[in-house]
Amino acid sequence: MTKHEFLAALHNKLSGLPENEIEERLTFYNEMIDDGMDEGLSEEEAVARIGVIEDTEIPDCKPEKAKQKLSPWAILLLVLCAPLWVSLLLTSISMVISLYASLWSVIISLWATEIALWGAALGGAVGGIALVCTGNTPAGVALMGAGFICAGLSLFLLYGCKAATKGTALLTKKIAQGIRKCFSKKEDA
Amino acid sequence: MDIQLKRGLLDVCVLAAIEHSESYGYKIIKDMKPYIDLSESTLYTILKRLESASMLTVRTVEHQGRLRKYYRITTAGQQRIAEFKEEWKEILSIYQFVTKGGGNNDKA
Repeated sequence: MTKHEFLAALHNKLSGLPENEIEERLTFYNEMIDDGMDEGLSEEEAVARIGVIEDTEIPDCKPEKAKQKLSPWAILLLVLCAPLWVSLLLTSISMVISLYASLWSVIISLWATEIALWGAALGGAVGGIALVCTGNTPAGVALMGAGFICAGLSLFLLYGCKAATKGTALLTKKIAQGIRKCFSKKEDA
Repeated sequence: MDIQLKRGLLDVCVLAAIEHSESYGYKIIKDMKPYIDLSESTLYTILKRLESASMLTVRTVEHQGRLRKYYRITTAGQQRIAEFKEEWKEILSIYQFVTKGGGNNDKA
């Protein structure tokens, strides 16, 4: 058997696999035959060394799945049960959306508090200085003190905000991965 | 031989064939020939599996006007060989226990 005949026969045998997979395997066998010929074997000997096509295993590789067509009964059942499964599907989607919204609303409110505290700190400092300059020293000092307290609190909250944002981002990613996994498992089954 | 065990052994054999220098398919089979007969299709499957597991990398090189794939071991591949050597000590002691008659030795 010549190399060309062998590769053609192998191509036929692998016909159930994706085209890129077939191409990769054919390249591999082509290289093996060429290397055999480089070592001094004749073309027939190099092909014979690989063995007969029937012995060429195709493990770890599943043929492309044929697209499953729904039977008319299945379509009818889907249509009849639509009120049930559509509402369940919508409920699930809205649950996921509300979960995401509630998680991120906490983060948004934390950051809003952080910004408000910074604003209060800045306002306290500016207002305090203005009051001191106009002669109302006790009120000015008190306002600046309040501003410093706000600045301290905002610094403290900044770490919390960062950690909470990171944690929530990770959690939402995990949830999304979990949902995707559920669907991919169903596809594999 | 148990399929899983054989698969694991062959993986390590192929990794050992490229442990010290990168190699190509034909040479890997040739180097392993004195120890184990490996078919081309089995080698292809092993190479793909090891590549997926990041235990080796592949590069294509032009050789005498055609392309040839070279396989190079990675750190993960070298680690697998080291693990195998450790595991093998355990397997060897189990083998010795089994071949010596297992628990019957105590009765004697």
